[in-house]
Amino acid sequence: MTATENPPSKYKYVGTRPVRHDGLDKVTGKARFAADLDLTGQLRGAIVRSPHAHARIVSIDTSAAEAMPGVKSVVTGADFPAIDPSDSAHDEAVNNIARDEALYVGHAVAAVAATTMEEARAAAAAVEVEYEVLPAVLSIDEAIAEGAPIANSTNRTLFTGDTEPSNIASVGPFQRGDVDAGFAAADVIVERTFTTKAVHQGYIEPHACVADVGQDGKATIWASSQGHFAVRSKTAKILGWGTDKIKVTPAEIGGGFGGKTTIYLEPIAVRLSQKAGRPVKIVMTREEVLRATGPAPASKIHMKMGATKDGELTTIQGTLHYSNGSAKGYAALTGAMSIASYKFPNLDLMAIGTVDNTPKSAAYRAPSAPQAAFAIETLIDEVADQLEMDPIELRLKNAVVEGDPTAMGAPHPKIGFIETLEAIKNSEHYNSPVPEGAGRGFGTGFWFNIGEQSSATVNLNEDGTATVITGSPDIGGSRASMALMAAEELGLDVHRITPIVADTESVGFTDITEGSRATFATGMAVVNACRDLIEQMKERAAVMRGVAADQVAWIDGAAVIEGPPSEGADPVSIAEITAAAKMTGGPLTATASLNAAGAGPSFAAHLADVRVDEETGQVEILRYTAAQDAGTAIHPSYVEGQMQGGSAQGIGWALNEEYIFSADGVMQNAGFLDYRMPVASDLPMIETIIVEVPNPSHPYGVRGVGETGIVPPIGTLANAIADQTGVRMTNLPMSPPNVLKALNER
Amino acid sequence: MATVHLQANHAAFTDGVRELEVDGATVGAVIDELATRFEGLGPLLREGSSVAIDGELQPKGTIYAAVGPDADVHFLAPIAGG
Amino acid sequence: MINRTHVHCTVNGDEVDFLATDSTSLLDALRTELGLTGVKEGCGTGDCGACSITVDGALNCACLMFAPEAEGREIGTVEGIAQGDHLHPLQETFLEGAALQCGICTPGFLVAAKVLLDENPTPTETEIRYALAGNLCRCTGYDKIIHAVQEAAVQLNGAKS
Repeated sequence: MTATENPPSKYKYVGTRPVRHDGLDKVTGKARFAADLDLTGQLRGAIVRSPHAHARIVSIDTSAAEAMPGVKSVVTGADFPAIDPSDSAHDEAVNNIARDEALYVGHAVAAVAATTMEEARAAAAAVEVEYEVLPAVLSIDEAIAEGAPIANSTNRTLFTGDTEPSNIASVGPFQRGDVDAGFAAADVIVERTFTTKAVHQGYIEPHACVADVGQDGKATIWASSQGHFAVRSKTAKILGWGTDKIKVTPAEIGGGFGGKTTIYLEPIAVRLSQKAGRPVKIVMTREEVLRATGPAPASKIHMKMGATKDGELTTIQGTLHYSNGSAKGYAALTGAMSIASYKFPNLDLMAIGTVDNTPKSAAYRAPSAPQAAFAIETLIDEVADQLEMDPIELRLKNAVVEGDPTAMGAPHPKIGFIETLEAIKNSEHYNSPVPEGAGRGFGTGFWFNIGEQSSATVNLNEDGTATVITGSPDIGGSRASMALMAAEELGLDVHRITPIVADTESVGFTDITEGSRATFATGMAVVNACRDLIEQMKERAAVMRGVAADQVAWIDGAAVIEGPPSEGADPVSIAEITAAAKMTGGPLTATASLNAAGAGPSFAAHLADVRVDEETGQVEILRYTAAQDAGTAIHPSYVEGQMQGGSAQGIGWALNEEYIFSADGVMQNAGFLDYRMPVASDLPMIETIIVEVPNPSHPYGVRGVGETGIVPPIGTLANAIADQTGVRMTNLPMSPPNVLKALNER
Repeated sequence: MATVHLQANHAAFTDGVRELEVDGATVGAVIDELATRFEGLGPLLREGSSVAIDGELQPKGTIYAAVGPDADVHFLAPIAGG
Repeated sequence: MINRTHVHCTVNGDEVDFLATDSTSLLDALRTELGLTGVKEGCGTGDCGACSITVDGALNCACLMFAPEAEGREIGTVEGIAQGDHLHPLQETFLEGAALQCGICTPGFLVAAKVLLDENPTPTETEIRYALAGNLCRCTGYDKIIHAVQEAAVQLNGAKS
């Protein structure tokens, strides 16, 4: 099942591992990330941030700041148009810059631009903000408590028609079957409450942008984002401008993981630049990134599961609370919907999203699924324990296949969950003994994946090379995948193809690189453009050979003439066709745009061996294997990279990472020393098994692989810890103090 | 007529009805029909839902997607990604 | 006006002069005064290693040094690892082995890994993991980075013998 063990591929380029096209710049230090750009006359921006978790902004006096040396412009929320709270853009707008209410410690309330960074920081400190401190809500429990203060005065519970302010962002019941009958039929019932803390995406590149408003009033923005078209539309909305007045050029992006699907700086940089008449660059510090950008939601999940003695999972019932931080969101709904891996004929889930005075949460790789999978995978493991069944056999018995319902009732399309489970079952790791004194854990994960809108333009150049132009920022090697699919279609060597990510004025609209969609949806646009080009080349070859167009076939990267009078003539190569293009009708170019349906869900299964030091609570990972259904691996190295990177993030979430707030809502660990992400010495090699059950809705069977890998690790590691110690960890992180506490309570 | 499947959160507007037959050649027509029948359901379906037709997840915000005469239409909570 | 100090040092073998205030970090000076933007800032507190450089051959975080401290020193950055068009084996194995995704941490890893292999041509996997523990990567899970360093060590040792 691994890529290397596959039978000879039916593809020439897809499935190979060429050096990525953007690689050379990245190993020589030449790659341009947003913070690497400096424009002539550029100012530096600094943000003034709320020191209070919740406060009314009484007044802002910028006069002292404006009088300071080097200061060229100052903005506050009053410099932006008011957006109605019922507008879906409202929350992101006020998260960029507060208007009347500061909603968390670190919330932006004003900004300055000055000649140097030092001057900008000094002036930011001189902006005088008068606050009326309001009661703050700092957790799910506080948000839902009887008589709790309102965390955000503009929040109304979504889609209920409620008009009163509330700390509930959304409520979503999911039901099928009859859970009472399901529990009555069960021989084993397990039930627990799980809590997880907010964690950060942890991209190494802080948010950064440069904005320059010209004399014509048009803004050009260079930004690090997962979607520069979204930067354009969001910035336009927050400024009240037309999208035609804004051009966004994508810089290389230094990691996103969902956290760069939202914007924080661009509207502010544009207004500062407009007021100063000079370009403005804003780069966040790491502390700002941790205090003011998107953590993944904290959660509290109560779950009860029933099974018959022969291992049929009859029932799942639970309440899932997810904190959206300071604004409304869909976190809890998505969490409940991600419970889609097992058949459960009877299901009753209540998803409740809360609002509090912590930073507005943002998407993080398979958003909300890891928290729910922690609960589900732990309980299934307990069922397996009680029934003395093999944990993989129990899952195989209950695993969803095509046509089975998801949590929301819609049937699964073609999926490869069974194949993924079997890949682990058949792995050398699973069939090797557990190291002496260690524990072994198994867990699985699911993610939907999405389609959305993409555009691609493919230009054939006069020397027979090709340029593939898309609007999808490349965060994990997707340019190489685009080039590989174009190579396969055209029959052109992958290194004669240059894949680029173009600005918002040079390629058609493209949605954000999120939901594991770039290789799936943008890849489809590339394939469609290439197929258009092949038709064009066949027509040109027909002109060149003096035959009818329907006498030309496209075989192995060349036009082959079939039938008399030119039967047997030499095929016409791409280079010959492009060289003659000016005589046969002009340049060869094709553009394709689509809104992709048929995204293919991806399943993963992980296996871990751990050793828990029972004196310190330290969990050491001895061996780790990840299997995942990629559909088809276009560039297997980067598929493995996604699986390994997702695993490592999940391991960090499981074992160490957490937001720690003081009683007044100040994050206590706003730096990489104390917000402890995994380093090389924390991890073993992460072995990968790529499973390939093609997605029938994609020309090459792509499912998208970016997200699912982060879902299984938490449950996998919790199960491994339980295997060694007998203790079920239900609160994250499973850090030494928390593990030790649980061991001592045993 | 297409068979429409609603979530429990939709059912708050439909007196508990979760499955019903609806005439409509497109997703938009189906939503319009449901919005007429059940007050308050329209905004939730238009802005707060994803749609799957015969198991295939449709592009976000779609209203023109064709609904076959015997189609199974599921309205789901919105799906995003990281 | 803020006083600026004249600093003279060697960067990637070239003698350079620049001006910096006493509170300017060497990282900021390298990036803004000398245009060496391959040296990245991930944290500014010495925790992520994205700004890894060599100072007289030893591994340092440029964000933890004041620019005037570079006076008279030999500074090495990622921009100095390749010799013209000739990539260092580490750069080759990072490319071949897909040891980078977003690439923001890559310059720091290359500098740190080169220091390791200069000092210890035959490191074990554990030695590599500890030598690179000061460099954060959030994309790869480190797997392919460790493999790339192991492969570069093999190539370098092969070239010597």
